Amino acid sequence: MSSAYDVAIIGGGHNGLTTACLLAQAGRKVVIFERRPQLGGLAGSEEFSPGYHSSGILHDSSGVRPQVIEQLRLESYGLRYDSEPRPVLIPREDGRSLLLWSDPERSAAEISAHSQRDAKTYHQYRAFLQRIAPILQRVFTRPPPNLADLGLKEALRLGSQAIGLRLLGKSDMMELLRIVPMAVADWLGEQFETPLLQAALAAPALHHTFTGPRSPGNSLNLLLSETLSSRPLAGGPPALVVALEKAARALGAEIRADEAVEEVRIENGVVKGVVLADGENVPARVIAASCHPRHLFLDLLSPRHLAIEFEQNIINFRSRGTCAKVHLALSSYPEFPSHPNYTAARIRIGGSLDELERAFDPVKYGEMSERPILEISVPTVTNPETAPTGHHVFSILVHFVPFDLRSGWTDISRQLLLDRVVSRVEEVAPGFTDLVVDAQVLTPFDLEVEYGVTGGHLLHGEPAIDQLIQRPVPECAGYASPIDGLYLCGSGAHPGGGITCAPGALAAAKILRRRTGR
Amino acid sequence: MAEKYDSIIVGGGHNGLVCAAYLAKSGKRVLVLEKRQVLGGAAVTEEVFPGFKFSTLSYVVSLFRPSIIRDLELPRHGMEIIPLESAFTPHFEGPGLCRWLDPARTRREISRFSVKDAEVYPEFSVAMTKTSRFVKAFIDAPAPDPTSFALPDLLQLLRVGRALTKDGASFLDLQTKLLTMSSADFLDRWFESDALKAPMAVSGIIGTFLGVRSPGTAYVLLHHYMGEIDGAFRSWGFSKGGTGQISLACARAAEEHGAEMRTGVQVQHIQVKNGRASGVVLENGEVIAAKTVVSNCDPARTFLGLVGEDHLDPEVIAKVKRYKFRGSSGKVNLAVDRLPQFTGREGTAHLRGDIAIAPSIEYLERAYDQAKYGEFSSRPFINMVIPSIMDPSVAPPGKHVISLFVQYAPYHLASGPDSWPQHREKFGDTVIDTIAEYCPGFRDSILHRQVITPWDLEQEYGLTEGNIFHGELTLEQLLFQRPMAPWSRYRTPIKNLWMCGSGTHPGGGVMGAPGQQSATHLLKSGEI
Repeated sequence: MSSAYDVAIIGGGHNGLTTACLLAQAGRKVVIFERRPQLGGLAGSEEFSPGYHSSGILHDSSGVRPQVIEQLRLESYGLRYDSEPRPVLIPREDGRSLLLWSDPERSAAEISAHSQRDAKTYHQYRAFLQRIAPILQRVFTRPPPNLADLGLKEALRLGSQAIGLRLLGKSDMMELLRIVPMAVADWLGEQFETPLLQAALAAPALHHTFTGPRSPGNSLNLLLSETLSSRPLAGGPPALVVALEKAARALGAEIRADEAVEEVRIENGVVKGVVLADGENVPARVIAASCHPRHLFLDLLSPRHLAIEFEQNIINFRSRGTCAKVHLALSSYPEFPSHPNYTAARIRIGGSLDELERAFDPVKYGEMSERPILEISVPTVTNPETAPTGHHVFSILVHFVPFDLRSGWTDISRQLLLDRVVSRVEEVAPGFTDLVVDAQVLTPFDLEVEYGVTGGHLLHGEPAIDQLIQRPVPECAGYASPIDGLYLCGSGAHPGGGITCAPGALAAAKILRRRTGR
Repeated sequence: MAEKYDSIIVGGGHNGLVCAAYLAKSGKRVLVLEKRQVLGGAAVTEEVFPGFKFSTLSYVVSLFRPSIIRDLELPRHGMEIIPLESAFTPHFEGPGLCRWLDPARTRREISRFSVKDAEVYPEFSVAMTKTSRFVKAFIDAPAPDPTSFALPDLLQLLRVGRALTKDGASFLDLQTKLLTMSSADFLDRWFESDALKAPMAVSGIIGTFLGVRSPGTAYVLLHHYMGEIDGAFRSWGFSKGGTGQISLACARAAEEHGAEMRTGVQVQHIQVKNGRASGVVLENGEVIAAKTVVSNCDPARTFLGLVGEDHLDPEVIAKVKRYKFRGSSGKVNLAVDRLPQFTGREGTAHLRGDIAIAPSIEYLERAYDQAKYGEFSSRPFINMVIPSIMDPSVAPPGKHVISLFVQYAPYHLASGPDSWPQHREKFGDTVIDTIAEYCPGFRDSILHRQVITPWDLEQEYGLTEGNIFHGELTLEQLLFQRPMAPWSRYRTPIKNLWMCGSGTHPGGGVMGAPGQQSATHLLKSGEI
């Protein structure tokens, strides 16, 4: 079949696009299928209300790996970093708020208004993070070690990472080993005394997890969120999608949006191509799937192609969405009493560790938080053109909201969720409710339906230690699946979810090393 | 040297006594000092009410090291273990679930709830037993120090690495999952029935301030498959005559080899000069000199209490202070005039083992949620045993003793730990009310009741914050970090001061391993 593609990619999110670009750049004949009419998946922009645009379901672009931007020369397609430092505003009901900057000095100055002791400790905290960052960056920017077949080369590579860890020095290494299995509440509790600061630092560690501050192990998530991000992109994730799409087209990748893959065709354990919803049969030698691993292996393949234990492991891959997305159209920027006339681009709401823990409790029983934790991005601060003049958009990640609400997801329960979100903001910004012009509520259930993420999990599976070390499951932890020619290239693969392009890029590198790759 | 003793052991708990016995057996002159009138610490038998003998605190045995039993010839000194015969979980309605020693009977019981689970149950046991062999290697050896560049440590680390990877990526994956997952999530991978999962999950939370949904609780599930009595896998048992008999057997072994015991003696502090321990000073002012002092007390009591901050580096003090105790359990001991009659199940066969009030995962998790905010659970997890059924020597004829382990009872009540005495009886009532829901008439069978709160555990037994394991058994406080790096091998920052309690590797429970290993290290050190 001379017309066959070298590689067919399932899913046109930012990872699928990254894989497509890198393979096309290396001369492969690539086609990419996206079920939705527009590209970008969770990173793409939508007009959620006439004149108001969202900045991606996942709105944080600071985790995008600079290597990918460089290698694909995305600057030449208009991609820029946001040049200005943007602090996070952590408002409190009584107006005693906190601003956290990426610059430790500026943050410490803010913290000292709450506690001198904490300001001092914060310096040490950031210095420690800076020392250990290279270790974590090494693990999370490179392919995972091949533990299934630990040859000499792999052993040496693992050994070199172990030596890197040892070169940290005894006390930092000891501290890192001690911290990783800890609960954020315990680690932060040892260091800081200000409840608002404790909560502000803890919240990102809880995002998309099935854990509260007191759950052991999420200190690793805190370390990762603190060490793996750099500067955000101007225009956020949607700008990344636009640049990747331009690059893909320029590099000759074929893009077919509004075309859903229904089946991965396999003969004698080797992939042959994909079958589309309309029955079209598209031959390809390699298939790279950026969709959720459960969707790939349980929906797109016949079970007869999978070993029973492997299938069981995929079924057991934990992907319980705990985050809803709410987009609010606002007639103006709300006023936070502590910072009048200040327009923060990022806002985090959650006042203490106990409050965060209480927000987590209900999700264990299929209920949503009464006072949810909010991670708000305001894209209109940097890109005013994404809303009518003077108007704003609040892009809100809401924790904790279960996929399988016990009472079921209905318009009434969606409205209740919206009310809880709005009234939580109202607590810290009086008058907020009156600014809300329109709203879009996406529960984890809606996110699964709309974006195909199983369980509504925006990272394609929970970021728990065991699901990060050999992601998603041991049998396909190195992008290649047990089926010859079938690869993972999405957030369900190492190093995990979020807007990073890392799984897409590492999968592309793996596919290029394939002997029969073309 | 003028010292009369090679070692003084502060605290006559089972670990202190094991340590004493090993030292004495090697010809060392040993003195054990115990604050209470009875030996045994938390592994103690007390006649709390006339004619009724209770294993006041620790109530079942499983992980006690077989090598200790052999080395110290404990059976000859009166130690005898009676295996438990069942594990029963009552429900509000119906006969509940009982697991038996006979696999076929267990299978039929589980089938009432899920045929699939009944099929999988034996497979699960096989997988866990295999895995527990790997973990057991850690119990009987010192923990490797990953930061050390010393050859023996490197070799030991390599061995661990090889053992983890030689069975392929899936074995490593299983180990990672056991170490980092919650017991509820881990069991979800195998089973579907809540009735089965809940009583299985509780082994992951006993003595911890964690819930069945807290990551890191799964590995304790293994303990059920590690239990060994006389080398037989998977058995839990009562000590005949109460758990205190184990301590007394160790004490007799030690005495036979010449160790001295003094009870009712409170050590005021450990004498330290120039960073070196030289003996102890008692409450009454008496000074006893020794070449070494071995503390069976927990790390906080040892360093902040007996040694004192003046003799310690600020860094060590900080490490001891951040070491987490936060006890989460209490104990209720009952003398009753008849056996409890659970709804839906006739006879007494299901009472000859472990009875768990753990009807569902949600029940257990909600019990934990309350504790997080400083309240004791209004419907707690309870582990009930009735040793007098199988060991009639502990109660008058026709009467019984019932031991109730209760969780969660947080040391840190919202109203402060010192308010526990005001809540003690209400806590006791809650426990009885909880059982009465499954067991009509239970209240009327009670002759006497003893309620032990975490605050009492601290006051009476010297367990800081009422933690029964001398500190939480969470990953950051285990192995080379128990009680703190780099002091995980029974030595302390004070020369000639050693530790031998549950606050050292491999941790709490009536295992005897810390006592045994500390003695081995001390003897090798040449300090005595």
